[in-house]
Amino acid sequence: MKTFLAKRKTLLKGLGWALLIALAVVVSVSTIHASSGIEPMGMSPLMFFIGMLFICIAIGMFAVLAGVGGGVIFTPLFMGFTPIDSYIVRSTGLFVAMAGALVAARPFLRRGIANIRLLFTGAVPYTVFAVIGALLAGYIQAHTGKGGEAFINGALGLIVIGIGMLFIFFGGKSEYPEVTHMDKFSAKLGLAMPYYEASLGKVVDYKLTRVALGMVLFCGVGLISGLFGLGAGWAMVPVFNLVMMAPLKVAATCSKVMISLGDTAAVWPYIVGGGMFPLFAVPSMIGLIVGTLIGARIMLKVKAGFIRYLIIAVMLFSGIRLVQKAIGML
Amino acid sequence: MTEERQIPKPLLSGIIYGEIAYWIALIGMGVSIIGIILYLIGMNQFFDPQVVLDGLFAGKDTTVIWQEAANSKVLHGHWYLEILAKSDAIAMLGISICCFAGVLGAWGSVVGMIISKEKPYIFLVFALIIAVILAMSAGGLISVH
Repeated sequence: MKTFLAKRKTLLKGLGWALLIALAVVVSVSTIHASSGIEPMGMSPLMFFIGMLFICIAIGMFAVLAGVGGGVIFTPLFMGFTPIDSYIVRSTGLFVAMAGALVAARPFLRRGIANIRLLFTGAVPYTVFAVIGALLAGYIQAHTGKGGEAFINGALGLIVIGIGMLFIFFGGKSEYPEVTHMDKFSAKLGLAMPYYEASLGKVVDYKLTRVALGMVLFCGVGLISGLFGLGAGWAMVPVFNLVMMAPLKVAATCSKVMISLGDTAAVWPYIVGGGMFPLFAVPSMIGLIVGTLIGARIMLKVKAGFIRYLIIAVMLFSGIRLVQKAIGML
Repeated sequence: MTEERQIPKPLLSGIIYGEIAYWIALIGMGVSIIGIILYLIGMNQFFDPQVVLDGLFAGKDTTVIWQEAANSKVLHGHWYLEILAKSDAIAMLGISICCFAGVLGAWGSVVGMIISKEKPYIFLVFALIIAVILAMSAGGLISVH
């Protein structure tokens, strides 16, 4: 009986996800032509500003409640569901991810939870490849026309679907991973920095391993972040936590500070390339930061499970939509 | 994994980065908000906001939006510094100050490492590499244009 119930639960869960994906495909297909013809409908710049502000407050709130950064939702959502040029959306996406991270970094570093040695070690490959990604984005925009735009949309769509799947199937994280073996490189670097964990009332000491592998993985994460204008906390936290075996809190805080460094390097090529418009960037920045602050406050009072599924659904919708857009461009 | 001992002091380089990044970013945000308010009330605009809006919704790229909204080709580099009397250039300056927060923070962190003689020195090298990349990027030296 127990086996039957367990099997039934798995079956229903699988069926639920299959239905969600099918729904995402149907909705995306049915609206693909509608968004390409969106008109401002006589909307004034002030109305646009206020509208953007509220949309971004909602994104920031839901993102915090779902445990992701606002940047990772902002870019695919605006690229998939609005006709705004992808270069402008990506530059703004990078900017809002960076601005939020700059404001959030201070308390983590003051309390010593974010490990400055670890994050500088990871930030070298991340920053270098984020810049390469941003330069590649500029090159594609300037020289490859529709084909390049199709590549950006398609690749981002697949990445966003992949992130959604990552949340569904590999959501497990380890709060205090146990390191049984430290490789020579990791041991030689001496990255570990104990911190005071207020919830335990104790100093948490930890070891790190597979640092070289982590650095290689950060090259890929940086490239994706710079090229597609995504915040990259979704990838950094697993690299710190599951590959390098840093405690979850250290991983989460380090990823936030690293975004503030890497995305700073990546955002400048977009700015000097003229891809940033204050009318779009400023309300997005204010909205996401205010939304994040509100989300963090109500996080303690609401059950966030449903919102997490909602965000996964939004990511799947956006991803499928982007792939369809790419196919349409070819 | 956990053990009872004295609360460890965070490294100076980290504190410096956090403080500089936070305060400069806030100043940048403040400037950009002032700029955008002036822009929205119609004070001395570089880009025509209605044309920018129409261009965004029409899916036009940066070159076309610049041409139509500012009657200019894309001015690469720190174009807003030359027209700071314009309200949207002030907003753009705020955005840039915000983006500059990380650059100053990274250099502050390098200085903090040197002052407090933080060991091992390999992390000073890492911090210096990042600070140089950020400065080059902010200076417009890393660009396809």
